[in-house]
Amino acid sequence: MTTTSVSADQSTTDYRDPELRLRALFDAGSLRLLMSRDTSGVLWARGEIDGTPAIAYATDATKMGGAMGTEGCQHIVDAIDAAVRERVPVLGLWHSGGARLAEGVVALDAVGQVFAAMVRASGRVPQISVVLGPAAGGAAYGPALTDIVVMSAAGRIFVTGPEVVRSVTGEQVDMERLGGPEPHGRRSGVVHVTTKDDESALAEARKLAALLGRQGRISPADIPAEAEEGHDLSAVMPAEANRAYDVKPVVKALLDAPGVELHAKWAPNVVTTLGRFAGRTVGVIANNPMRLGGCLDASSAEKAARFVRMCDSLGVPLIVLVDVPGYLPGLGQEWDGVVRRGAKLLHAFAEAVVPRVTLVTRKAYGGAYIAMNSRSLGATAVFAWPNAEVAVMGASAAVNILHRKKLAAAPPEEREALRAQLIEEQVRVAGGVNRALEIGVVDDVIKPAETRRRIADAIAAAPAARGAHGNIPL
Amino acid sequence: MAEEIRAEMVANVWKVVAAAGDTVAEGDTLVILESMKMEIPVVAESDGVLRQLAVNEGDVVQEGDLIAVIE
Repeated sequence: MTTTSVSADQSTTDYRDPELRLRALFDAGSLRLLMSRDTSGVLWARGEIDGTPAIAYATDATKMGGAMGTEGCQHIVDAIDAAVRERVPVLGLWHSGGARLAEGVVALDAVGQVFAAMVRASGRVPQISVVLGPAAGGAAYGPALTDIVVMSAAGRIFVTGPEVVRSVTGEQVDMERLGGPEPHGRRSGVVHVTTKDDESALAEARKLAALLGRQGRISPADIPAEAEEGHDLSAVMPAEANRAYDVKPVVKALLDAPGVELHAKWAPNVVTTLGRFAGRTVGVIANNPMRLGGCLDASSAEKAARFVRMCDSLGVPLIVLVDVPGYLPGLGQEWDGVVRRGAKLLHAFAEAVVPRVTLVTRKAYGGAYIAMNSRSLGATAVFAWPNAEVAVMGASAAVNILHRKKLAAAPPEEREALRAQLIEEQVRVAGGVNRALEIGVVDDVIKPAETRRRIADAIAAAPAARGAHGNIPL
Repeated sequence: MAEEIRAEMVANVWKVVAAAGDTVAEGDTLVILESMKMEIPVVAESDGVLRQLAVNEGDVVQEGDLIAVIE
Protein backbone atom coordinates (compact mmCIF):
# COMPACT_ATOMS: atom_id res chain seq x y z
CA MET A 1 0.00 0.00 0.00
CA THR A 2 1.48 3.30 -1.04
CA THR A 3 0.33 6.70 -0.07
CA THR A 4 0.52 9.36 -2.71
CA SER A 5 -0.60 12.91 -2.73
CA VAL A 6 -3.46 13.92 -4.96
CA SER A 7 -2.40 13.42 -8.56
CA ALA A 8 -1.12 16.56 -10.17
CA ASP A 9 -2.82 15.81 -13.46
CA GLN A 10 -5.98 17.92 -13.42
CA SER A 11 -6.46 17.82 -17.20
CA THR A 12 -8.98 15.02 -17.17
CA THR A 13 -12.56 16.14 -17.63
CA ASP A 14 -14.29 12.77 -17.90
CA TYR A 15 -17.06 12.97 -15.29
CA ARG A 16 -16.59 9.23 -14.67
CA ASP A 17 -13.05 9.76 -13.43
CA PRO A 18 -12.88 8.07 -10.02
CA GLU A 19 -10.52 10.67 -8.57
CA LEU A 20 -12.94 13.47 -9.42
CA ARG A 21 -15.76 11.52 -7.84
CA LEU A 22 -13.78 10.79 -4.68
CA ARG A 23 -12.72 14.42 -4.44
CA ALA A 24 -16.35 15.50 -4.72
CA LEU A 25 -17.28 13.07 -1.93
CA PHE A 26 -14.73 14.23 0.65
CA ASP A 27 -14.31 17.63 2.33
CA ALA A 28 -12.34 20.04 0.15
CA GLY A 29 -8.63 19.39 0.37
CA SER A 30 -8.95 16.25 2.51
CA LEU A 31 -8.55 13.59 -0.23
CA ARG A 32 -5.47 11.36 0.04
CA LEU A 33 -5.15 8.55 -2.51
CA LEU A 34 -3.92 5.35 -0.89
CA MET A 35 -2.61 3.81 -4.11
CA SER A 36 -1.04 4.90 -7.37
CA ARG A 37 -3.47 5.25 -10.23
CA ASP A 38 -3.38 2.07 -12.28
CA THR A 39 -5.42 0.06 -14.79
CA SER A 40 -7.15 -2.08 -12.17
CA GLY A 41 -10.48 -0.27 -12.54
CA VAL A 42 -10.57 0.77 -8.86
CA LEU A 43 -9.19 3.70 -6.89
CA TRP A 44 -9.34 4.09 -3.11
CA ALA A 45 -8.61 6.93 -0.78
CA ARG A 46 -8.86 8.38 2.66
CA GLY A 47 -10.46 11.70 3.46
CA GLU A 48 -12.82 13.54 5.75
CA ILE A 49 -16.56 13.95 5.62
CA ASP A 50 -17.79 16.88 7.69
CA GLY A 51 -14.50 16.60 9.53
CA THR A 52 -14.98 12.88 10.27
CA PRO A 53 -12.38 10.46 8.88
CA ALA A 54 -13.67 8.01 6.28
CA ILE A 55 -12.38 5.68 3.58
CA ALA A 56 -13.84 5.36 0.09
CA TYR A 57 -13.25 3.34 -3.04
CA ALA A 58 -14.54 4.04 -6.54
CA THR A 59 -14.76 1.80 -9.56
CA ASP A 60 -13.11 3.41 -12.57
CA ALA A 61 -15.63 3.45 -15.41
CA THR A 62 -12.99 4.89 -17.74
CA LYS A 63 -11.11 1.54 -17.61
CA MET A 64 -13.10 -1.25 -19.33
CA GLY A 65 -16.36 0.24 -18.06
CA GLY A 66 -15.25 -0.22 -14.47
CA ALA A 67 -15.22 -4.00 -14.82
CA MET A 68 -13.83 -5.77 -11.75
CA GLY A 69 -10.71 -7.91 -12.05
CA THR A 70 -8.30 -9.43 -9.56
CA GLU A 71 -6.31 -6.26 -8.91
CA GLY A 72 -9.30 -3.96 -8.64
CA CYS A 73 -11.09 -6.29 -6.28
CA GLN A 74 -8.00 -6.49 -4.09
CA HIS A 75 -8.04 -2.69 -3.81
CA ILE A 76 -11.66 -2.80 -2.62
CA VAL A 77 -10.82 -5.51 -0.07
CA ASP A 78 -7.87 -3.39 1.14
CA ALA A 79 -10.14 -0.36 1.52
CA ILE A 80 -12.76 -2.26 3.51
CA ASP A 81 -10.16 -3.97 5.73
CA ALA A 82 -8.48 -0.62 6.43
CA ALA A 83 -11.81 0.91 7.43
CA VAL A 84 -12.46 -1.95 9.87
CA ARG A 85 -8.98 -1.56 11.41
CA GLU A 86 -9.46 2.19 11.79
CA ARG A 87 -13.15 1.93 12.75
CA VAL A 88 -14.26 4.50 10.19
CA PRO A 89 -17.11 4.44 7.68
CA VAL A 90 -16.32 3.04 4.24
CA LEU A 91 -18.08 4.30 1.14
CA GLY A 92 -18.15 2.74 -2.32
CA LEU A 93 -18.82 4.69 -5.51
CA TRP A 94 -20.15 2.27 -8.11
CA HIS A 95 -20.09 2.42 -11.90
CA SER A 96 -19.14 -1.01 -13.17
CA GLY A 97 -20.23 -3.65 -15.65
CA GLY A 98 -19.37 -6.46 -13.25
CA ALA A 99 -16.60 -9.05 -13.33
CA ARG A 100 -13.92 -8.81 -16.07
CA LEU A 101 -14.91 -11.41 -18.66
CA ALA A 102 -11.36 -11.70 -20.03
CA GLU A 103 -10.08 -12.86 -16.64
CA GLY A 104 -12.66 -15.60 -16.47
CA VAL A 105 -13.24 -17.46 -13.25
CA VAL A 106 -10.28 -15.69 -11.61
CA ALA A 107 -12.36 -12.50 -11.70
CA LEU A 108 -15.35 -14.29 -10.20
CA ASP A 109 -13.15 -15.48 -7.35
CA ALA A 110 -11.93 -11.91 -6.82
CA VAL A 111 -15.48 -10.49 -6.77
CA GLY A 112 -16.40 -13.18 -4.26
CA GLN A 113 -13.57 -11.97 -2.03
CA VAL A 114 -15.02 -8.45 -2.14
CA PHE A 115 -18.35 -9.84 -0.95
CA ALA A 116 -16.61 -11.75 1.85
CA ALA A 117 -14.79 -8.57 2.97
CA MET A 118 -18.10 -6.68 3.05
CA VAL A 119 -19.68 -9.35 5.21
CA ARG A 120 -16.65 -9.39 7.55
CA ALA A 121 -17.08 -5.64 7.99
CA SER A 122 -20.86 -5.84 8.35
CA GLY A 123 -22.04 -4.44 11.67
CA ARG A 124 -18.49 -3.31 12.56
CA VAL A 125 -18.22 -0.15 10.46
CA PRO A 126 -20.93 1.67 8.47
CA GLN A 127 -20.82 0.69 4.79
CA ILE A 128 -22.49 3.06 2.34
CA SER A 129 -22.77 2.56 -1.42
CA VAL A 130 -23.41 5.27 -3.99
CA VAL A 131 -24.50 3.99 -7.39
CA LEU A 132 -23.63 6.59 -10.01
CA GLY A 133 -23.89 4.50 -13.18
CA PRO A 134 -24.71 0.95 -14.17
CA ALA A 135 -23.72 -1.62 -11.54
CA ALA A 136 -24.32 -4.99 -13.13
CA GLY A 137 -23.77 -8.60 -12.17
CA GLY A 138 -21.17 -8.80 -9.43
CA ALA A 139 -21.24 -5.03 -9.10
CA ALA A 140 -24.95 -5.26 -8.28
CA TYR A 141 -24.44 -7.49 -5.28
CA GLY A 142 -21.63 -5.33 -3.92
CA PRO A 143 -23.89 -2.39 -3.03
CA ALA A 144 -26.67 -4.79 -2.02
CA LEU A 145 -24.47 -6.27 0.73
CA THR A 146 -23.77 -2.88 2.32
CA ASP A 147 -25.84 -1.09 4.95
CA ILE A 148 -27.21 1.74 2.81
CA VAL A 149 -27.48 2.17 -0.97
CA VAL A 150 -27.84 5.65 -2.49
CA MET A 151 -28.68 5.84 -6.20
CA SER A 152 -28.35 8.83 -8.48
CA ALA A 153 -30.66 9.34 -11.49
CA ALA A 154 -28.09 7.69 -13.78
CA GLY A 155 -27.61 4.70 -11.46
CA ARG A 156 -28.75 1.23 -12.57
CA ILE A 157 -28.54 -2.07 -10.71
CA PHE A 158 -29.34 -5.39 -12.31
CA VAL A 159 -28.07 -8.95 -12.39
CA THR A 160 -28.50 -9.36 -16.14
CA GLY A 161 -28.81 -6.52 -18.65
CA PRO A 162 -31.64 -5.81 -21.10
CA GLU A 163 -30.08 -7.84 -23.92
CA VAL A 164 -29.78 -11.01 -21.89
CA VAL A 165 -33.29 -10.51 -20.55
CA ARG A 166 -34.53 -10.12 -24.12
CA SER A 167 -32.76 -13.23 -25.39
CA VAL A 168 -33.84 -15.41 -22.49
CA THR A 169 -37.36 -14.28 -21.69
CA GLY A 170 -38.30 -12.25 -24.74
CA GLU A 171 -39.15 -9.24 -22.52
CA GLN A 172 -38.39 -5.85 -24.08
CA VAL A 173 -37.10 -3.61 -21.32
CA ASP A 174 -34.59 -0.78 -21.03
CA MET A 175 -31.93 -0.36 -18.32
CA GLU A 176 -33.88 2.29 -16.46
CA ARG A 177 -37.03 0.23 -16.14
CA LEU A 178 -35.01 -2.87 -15.31
CA GLY A 179 -32.84 -1.38 -12.60
CA GLY A 180 -33.15 2.40 -12.29
CA PRO A 181 -34.07 4.48 -9.23
CA GLU A 182 -37.81 3.98 -9.78
CA PRO A 183 -37.92 0.15 -9.69
CA HIS A 184 -35.29 -0.13 -6.96
CA GLY A 185 -36.56 2.78 -4.89
CA ARG A 186 -40.22 1.77 -5.01
CA ARG A 187 -40.53 -1.92 -5.87
CA SER A 188 -37.49 -4.02 -4.96
CA GLY A 189 -36.21 -2.19 -1.88
CA VAL A 190 -32.60 -2.58 -3.10
CA VAL A 191 -32.02 1.17 -2.94
CA HIS A 192 -32.51 3.22 0.25
CA VAL A 193 -32.16 6.75 -1.10
CA THR A 194 -32.72 8.01 -4.66
CA THR A 195 -31.52 11.41 -5.81
CA LYS A 196 -31.94 13.60 -8.87
CA ASP A 197 -28.24 13.79 -9.76
CA ASP A 198 -24.73 12.68 -8.78
CA GLU A 199 -24.07 15.77 -6.70
CA SER A 200 -27.06 15.19 -4.43
CA ALA A 201 -26.28 11.45 -4.25
CA LEU A 202 -22.85 12.29 -2.83
CA ALA A 203 -24.42 14.89 -0.52
CA GLU A 204 -26.83 12.28 0.92
CA ALA A 205 -23.99 9.79 1.33
CA ARG A 206 -22.01 12.44 3.20
CA LYS A 207 -24.93 13.10 5.57
CA LEU A 208 -25.29 9.38 6.25
CA ALA A 209 -21.56 8.88 6.81
CA ALA A 210 -21.51 11.79 9.27
CA LEU A 211 -24.57 10.47 11.13
CA LEU A 212 -23.16 6.95 11.44
CA GLY A 213 -19.48 7.84 11.70
CA ARG A 214 -19.80 10.52 14.36
CA GLN A 215 -22.85 9.70 16.42
CA GLY A 216 -22.31 12.17 19.25
CA ARG A 217 -23.56 12.04 22.83
CA ILE A 218 -27.15 12.44 23.90
CA SER A 219 -27.73 15.58 25.88
CA PRO A 220 -31.25 15.74 27.37
CA ALA A 221 -30.45 19.01 29.14
CA ASP A 222 -30.39 20.70 25.74
CA ILE A 223 -34.08 19.93 25.32
CA PRO A 224 -36.52 22.15 27.24
CA ALA A 225 -39.08 20.28 29.35
CA GLU A 226 -41.85 21.75 27.20
CA ALA A 227 -41.81 21.62 23.42
CA GLU A 228 -39.97 24.35 21.55
CA GLU A 229 -41.27 25.96 18.39
CA GLY A 230 -41.48 23.38 15.59
CA HIS A 231 -41.00 20.45 17.97
CA ASP A 232 -44.55 19.88 19.23
CA LEU A 233 -45.31 16.45 17.82
CA SER A 234 -49.07 16.61 18.35
CA ALA A 235 -49.36 19.92 16.49
CA VAL A 236 -48.91 18.14 13.17
CA MET A 237 -51.45 15.41 13.88
CA PRO A 238 -55.18 15.60 13.09
CA ALA A 239 -57.70 16.12 15.90
CA GLU A 240 -59.97 13.29 14.71
CA ALA A 241 -58.76 9.86 15.82
CA ASN A 242 -59.94 8.13 12.64
CA ARG A 243 -58.30 10.56 10.24
CA ALA A 244 -55.19 9.31 8.51
CA TYR A 245 -52.18 11.65 8.41
CA ASP A 246 -48.65 11.67 7.11
CA VAL A 247 -46.29 10.76 9.95
CA LYS A 248 -43.23 12.35 8.31
CA PRO A 249 -43.85 15.82 9.79
CA VAL A 250 -44.16 14.12 13.20
CA VAL A 251 -40.76 12.49 12.72
CA LYS A 252 -39.38 15.85 11.64
CA ALA A 253 -40.74 17.52 14.79
CA LEU A 254 -39.21 14.75 16.92
CA LEU A 255 -35.69 15.18 15.53
CA ASP A 256 -33.39 18.16 16.13
CA ALA A 257 -33.22 18.79 12.39
CA PRO A 258 -34.58 16.90 9.37
CA GLY A 259 -32.89 13.49 9.07
CA VAL A 260 -32.37 11.16 6.13
CA GLU A 261 -35.29 8.86 5.40
CA LEU A 262 -34.34 5.40 4.13
CA HIS A 263 -36.60 3.42 1.78
CA ALA A 264 -38.97 6.41 1.51
CA LYS A 265 -40.99 4.95 -1.36
CA TRP A 266 -40.68 1.23 -0.70
CA ALA A 267 -43.08 -0.15 1.94
CA PRO A 268 -44.10 3.45 2.81
CA ASN A 269 -46.54 2.33 5.52
CA VAL A 270 -43.58 2.32 7.88
CA VAL A 271 -41.08 5.19 7.96
CA THR A 272 -37.40 4.60 8.82
CA THR A 273 -35.27 7.70 9.33
CA LEU A 274 -31.77 8.38 10.64
CA GLY A 275 -31.30 11.75 12.28
CA ARG A 276 -30.01 13.66 15.28
CA PHE A 277 -31.98 13.76 18.51
CA ALA A 278 -30.71 15.73 21.50
CA GLY A 279 -27.41 15.90 19.66
CA ARG A 280 -27.05 12.15 19.14
CA THR A 281 -27.68 10.00 16.08
CA VAL A 282 -30.84 7.89 16.45
CA GLY A 283 -32.96 5.69 14.22
CA VAL A 284 -36.68 6.45 14.10
CA ILE A 285 -39.26 3.86 13.11
CA ALA A 286 -42.82 5.13 12.67
CA ASN A 287 -46.06 3.68 11.33
CA ASN A 288 -47.46 5.91 8.60
CA PRO A 289 -51.29 5.97 8.75
CA MET A 290 -51.31 7.73 5.38
CA ARG A 291 -50.29 4.49 3.68
CA LEU A 292 -52.30 1.28 4.09
CA GLY A 293 -53.83 2.92 7.16
CA GLY A 294 -50.47 2.43 8.87
CA CYS A 295 -50.93 -1.35 8.93
CA LEU A 296 -47.84 -3.50 9.11
CA ASP A 297 -47.45 -5.88 6.20
CA ALA A 298 -44.82 -8.29 4.92
CA SER A 299 -42.64 -5.67 3.20
CA SER A 300 -42.82 -3.00 5.90
CA ALA A 301 -42.01 -5.50 8.66
CA GLU A 302 -38.97 -6.63 6.70
CA LYS A 303 -37.91 -3.04 6.01
CA ALA A 304 -38.20 -2.09 9.68
CA ALA A 305 -36.43 -5.30 10.77
CA ARG A 306 -33.40 -4.56 8.62
CA PHE A 307 -33.30 -0.98 9.89
CA VAL A 308 -33.49 -2.12 13.52
CA ARG A 309 -30.66 -4.61 12.98
CA MET A 310 -28.50 -2.05 11.20
CA CYS A 311 -28.95 0.47 14.02
CA ASP A 312 -28.34 -2.18 16.68
CA SER A 313 -25.15 -3.43 15.02
CA LEU A 314 -23.81 0.13 14.70
CA GLY A 315 -24.85 1.20 18.22
CA VAL A 316 -27.57 3.63 17.18
CA PRO A 317 -30.46 4.00 19.71
CA LEU A 318 -34.01 3.62 18.41
CA ILE A 319 -37.18 5.66 18.84
CA VAL A 320 -40.39 3.91 17.80
CA LEU A 321 -43.54 5.95 17.07
CA VAL A 322 -46.54 3.66 17.18
CA ASP A 323 -49.93 4.25 15.58
CA VAL A 324 -50.84 0.87 14.16
CA PRO A 325 -54.25 -0.73 13.56
CA GLY A 326 -52.78 -4.21 13.06
CA TYR A 327 -51.30 -6.44 10.41
CA LEU A 328 -52.80 -6.08 6.95
CA PRO A 329 -55.27 -8.92 6.40
CA GLY A 330 -55.67 -10.87 3.19
CA LEU A 331 -54.68 -13.73 0.95
CA GLY A 332 -52.01 -11.64 -0.78
CA GLN A 333 -50.31 -10.92 2.52
CA GLU A 334 -50.39 -14.49 3.76
CA TRP A 335 -48.95 -15.76 0.48
CA ASP A 336 -46.43 -12.93 0.48
CA GLY A 337 -45.06 -14.28 3.75
CA VAL A 338 -46.47 -11.82 6.29
CA VAL A 339 -45.82 -14.48 8.93
CA ARG A 340 -42.24 -15.31 7.90
CA ARG A 341 -41.28 -11.71 7.11
CA GLY A 342 -43.23 -10.30 10.04
CA ALA A 343 -41.29 -12.63 12.33
CA LYS A 344 -38.11 -10.79 11.28
CA LEU A 345 -39.33 -7.65 13.02
CA LEU A 346 -40.10 -9.54 16.23
CA HIS A 347 -36.64 -11.11 16.10
CA ALA A 348 -34.91 -7.81 15.33
CA PHE A 349 -36.46 -5.92 18.25
CA ALA A 350 -36.17 -8.78 20.72
CA GLU A 351 -32.42 -9.18 20.05
CA ALA A 352 -31.60 -5.44 19.98
CA VAL A 353 -29.46 -4.19 22.89
CA VAL A 354 -29.30 -0.49 21.98
CA PRO A 355 -31.54 1.83 24.02
CA ARG A 356 -34.96 1.69 22.33
CA VAL A 357 -37.89 3.80 23.42
CA THR A 358 -41.48 3.40 22.24
CA LEU A 359 -44.17 6.07 22.12
CA VAL A 360 -47.79 5.10 21.39
CA THR A 361 -49.33 8.24 19.92
CA ARG A 362 -52.85 7.02 19.07
CA LYS A 363 -53.32 3.27 18.97
CA ALA A 364 -51.52 -0.05 19.13
CA TYR A 365 -53.62 -3.10 18.36
CA GLY A 366 -53.04 -6.82 18.35
CA GLY A 367 -49.98 -8.53 16.94
CA ALA A 368 -48.72 -5.28 15.49
CA TYR A 369 -48.66 -3.82 19.02
CA ILE A 370 -46.24 -6.56 20.05
CA ALA A 371 -44.08 -6.09 16.95
CA MET A 372 -43.61 -2.35 17.44
CA ASN A 373 -41.02 -2.61 20.22
CA SER A 374 -43.42 -3.53 23.00
CA ARG A 375 -42.45 -4.01 26.64
CA SER A 376 -42.52 -7.78 26.12
CA LEU A 377 -39.85 -7.53 23.39
CA GLY A 378 -37.59 -5.65 25.79
CA ALA A 379 -38.25 -1.97 25.13
CA THR A 380 -36.13 0.37 27.28
CA ALA A 381 -39.24 2.44 27.99
CA VAL A 382 -42.79 2.56 26.63
CA PHE A 383 -44.63 5.87 26.76
CA ALA A 384 -48.15 6.72 25.59
CA TRP A 385 -50.00 9.95 25.04
CA PRO A 386 -53.15 10.49 27.16
CA ASN A 387 -55.67 9.55 24.45
CA ALA A 388 -53.76 6.51 23.22
CA GLU A 389 -55.40 3.13 23.05
CA VAL A 390 -53.55 -0.13 23.60
CA ALA A 391 -55.73 -3.15 22.97
CA VAL A 392 -56.12 -6.44 21.16
CA MET A 393 -58.29 -4.65 18.62
CA GLY A 394 -60.43 -1.53 18.29
CA ALA A 395 -63.49 -1.45 20.56
CA SER A 396 -66.08 -1.66 17.77
CA ALA A 397 -64.35 -4.59 16.09
CA ALA A 398 -64.05 -6.33 19.46
CA VAL A 399 -67.76 -5.83 20.17
CA ASN A 400 -68.72 -7.32 16.82
CA ILE A 401 -66.83 -10.48 17.68
CA LEU A 402 -67.46 -10.77 21.43
CA HIS A 403 -71.16 -9.95 21.21
CA ARG A 404 -72.01 -11.38 17.80
CA LYS A 405 -74.86 -13.54 19.11
CA LYS A 406 -76.28 -10.87 21.37
CA LEU A 407 -76.30 -8.37 18.50
CA ALA A 408 -77.87 -10.86 16.10
CA ALA A 409 -80.60 -11.67 18.61
CA ALA A 410 -81.51 -8.03 19.19
CA PRO A 411 -84.42 -6.59 17.20
CA PRO A 412 -83.03 -4.74 14.15
CA GLU A 413 -84.34 -1.36 15.32
CA GLU A 414 -82.50 -1.68 18.64
CA ARG A 415 -79.33 -3.20 17.28
CA GLU A 416 -77.37 -0.01 16.69
CA ALA A 417 -78.22 1.41 20.11
CA LEU A 418 -77.11 -1.85 21.70
CA ARG A 419 -73.91 -1.83 19.67
CA ALA A 420 -73.12 1.72 20.80
CA GLN A 421 -73.71 0.77 24.42
CA LEU A 422 -71.52 -2.32 24.16
CA ILE A 423 -68.74 -0.32 22.53
CA GLU A 424 -68.85 2.20 25.34
CA GLU A 425 -68.61 -0.64 27.85
CA GLN A 426 -65.74 -2.24 25.94
CA VAL A 427 -63.79 1.02 25.89
CA ARG A 428 -64.27 1.35 29.63
CA VAL A 429 -63.17 -2.20 30.41
CA ALA A 430 -60.48 -2.95 27.85
CA GLY A 431 -59.77 0.22 25.92
CA GLY A 432 -57.72 3.32 26.47
CA VAL A 433 -54.33 3.22 28.03
CA ASN A 434 -55.16 2.63 31.70
CA ARG A 435 -55.19 -1.14 31.62
CA ALA A 436 -51.82 -1.17 29.81
CA LEU A 437 -50.44 1.20 32.43
CA GLU A 438 -51.84 -0.93 35.26
CA ILE A 439 -50.12 -4.12 34.11
CA GLY A 440 -46.90 -2.26 33.32
CA VAL A 441 -46.66 -2.63 29.55
CA VAL A 442 -46.83 1.15 29.34
CA ASP A 443 -44.43 2.86 31.76
CA ASP A 444 -45.93 6.30 31.76
CA VAL A 445 -48.52 8.49 30.11
CA ILE A 446 -46.83 11.66 28.94
CA LYS A 447 -47.97 14.95 27.45
CA PRO A 448 -47.18 15.52 23.78
CA ALA A 449 -45.29 18.71 24.68
CA GLU A 450 -42.84 16.89 26.97
CA THR A 451 -42.29 14.01 24.56
CA ARG A 452 -38.82 14.94 23.33
CA ARG A 453 -37.46 15.52 26.79
CA ARG A 454 -38.90 12.32 28.25
CA ILE A 455 -37.58 10.19 25.39
CA ALA A 456 -34.15 11.83 25.66
CA ASP A 457 -34.07 11.16 29.41
CA ALA A 458 -34.98 7.51 28.85
CA ILE A 459 -32.28 7.01 26.23
CA ALA A 460 -29.67 8.80 28.34
CA ALA A 461 -30.51 6.68 31.39
CA ALA A 462 -30.10 3.39 29.51
CA PRO A 463 -26.62 1.85 29.26
CA ALA A 464 -25.01 2.41 25.85
CA ALA A 465 -24.69 -0.90 24.06
CA ARG A 466 -24.18 -2.31 20.62
CA GLY A 467 -25.41 -5.58 19.15
CA ALA A 468 -22.69 -8.10 18.35
CA HIS A 469 -23.96 -9.15 14.95
CA GLY A 470 -23.71 -8.25 11.27
CA ASN A 471 -26.37 -6.55 9.21
CA ILE A 472 -27.62 -9.15 6.77
CA PRO A 473 -29.66 -7.45 4.00
CA LEU A 474 -32.98 -8.95 5.12
CA MET B 1 -45.34 8.14 -19.01
CA ALA B 2 -48.69 7.28 -17.53
CA GLU B 3 -48.71 6.25 -13.92
CA GLU B 4 -51.49 4.03 -12.67
CA ILE B 5 -52.58 4.41 -9.08
CA ARG B 6 -54.07 1.24 -7.70
CA ALA B 7 -55.76 0.42 -4.42
CA GLU B 8 -53.28 -0.80 -1.80
CA MET B 9 -55.95 -2.58 0.20
CA VAL B 10 -59.65 -3.46 0.27
CA ALA B 11 -61.59 -0.29 1.08
CA ASN B 12 -64.75 1.74 0.55
CA VAL B 13 -64.49 4.86 -1.56
CA TRP B 14 -65.61 7.51 0.90
CA LYS B 15 -64.95 10.73 -1.00
CA VAL B 16 -63.75 11.60 -4.49
CA VAL B 17 -61.74 14.79 -4.22
CA ALA B 18 -60.17 15.26 -7.67
CA ALA B 19 -61.70 15.00 -11.14
CA ALA B 20 -60.44 13.74 -14.48
CA GLY B 21 -58.57 16.51 -16.29
CA ASP B 22 -57.24 18.12 -13.10
CA THR B 23 -53.58 19.07 -12.93
CA VAL B 24 -52.15 17.42 -9.83
CA ALA B 25 -48.87 17.60 -7.95
CA GLU B 26 -47.11 14.86 -6.01
CA GLY B 27 -48.83 14.49 -2.66
CA ASP B 28 -52.21 15.87 -3.75
CA THR B 29 -55.20 13.93 -2.47
CA LEU B 30 -57.23 12.29 -5.24
CA VAL B 31 -59.68 10.11 -3.35
CA ILE B 32 -60.32 9.31 0.32
CA LEU B 33 -60.87 5.65 1.13
CA GLU B 34 -62.32 4.20 4.29
CA SER B 35 -60.82 1.00 5.64
CA MET B 36 -59.72 -0.43 8.99
CA LYS B 37 -61.90 2.32 10.57
CA MET B 38 -59.59 4.91 9.07
CA GLU B 39 -60.05 7.57 6.46
CA ILE B 40 -57.11 7.03 4.16
CA PRO B 41 -56.25 9.55 1.44
CA VAL B 42 -54.98 8.23 -1.89
CA VAL B 43 -52.38 10.70 -3.10
CA ALA B 44 -50.70 11.42 -6.42
CA GLU B 45 -47.22 9.95 -6.53
CA SER B 46 -46.04 12.20 -9.35
CA ASP B 47 -46.88 15.55 -10.93
CA GLY B 48 -49.13 15.42 -13.98
CA VAL B 49 -52.64 15.54 -15.36
CA LEU B 50 -55.30 13.20 -14.04
CA ARG B 51 -56.27 11.28 -17.19
CA GLN B 52 -58.77 8.96 -15.63
CA LEU B 53 -60.55 8.55 -12.32
CA ALA B 54 -61.87 5.01 -12.18
CA VAL B 55 -63.91 5.06 -8.96
CA ASN B 56 -67.09 6.66 -7.60
CA GLU B 57 -68.12 7.42 -4.05
CA GLY B 58 -69.58 4.34 -2.41
CA ASP B 59 -67.62 1.86 -4.55
CA VAL B 60 -65.74 -0.96 -2.91
CA VAL B 61 -62.21 -1.39 -4.25
CA GLN B 62 -60.16 -4.56 -3.96
CA GLU B 63 -56.38 -4.60 -3.61
CA GLY B 64 -54.89 -3.85 -7.02
CA ASP B 65 -58.00 -2.18 -8.50
CA LEU B 66 -57.34 0.86 -10.66
CA ILE B 67 -58.17 4.16 -8.96
CA ALA B 68 -56.62 6.76 -11.25
CA VAL B 69 -54.22 7.32 -14.11
CA ILE B 70 -51.83 10.28 -14.07
CA GLU B 71 -49.92 11.40 -17.17
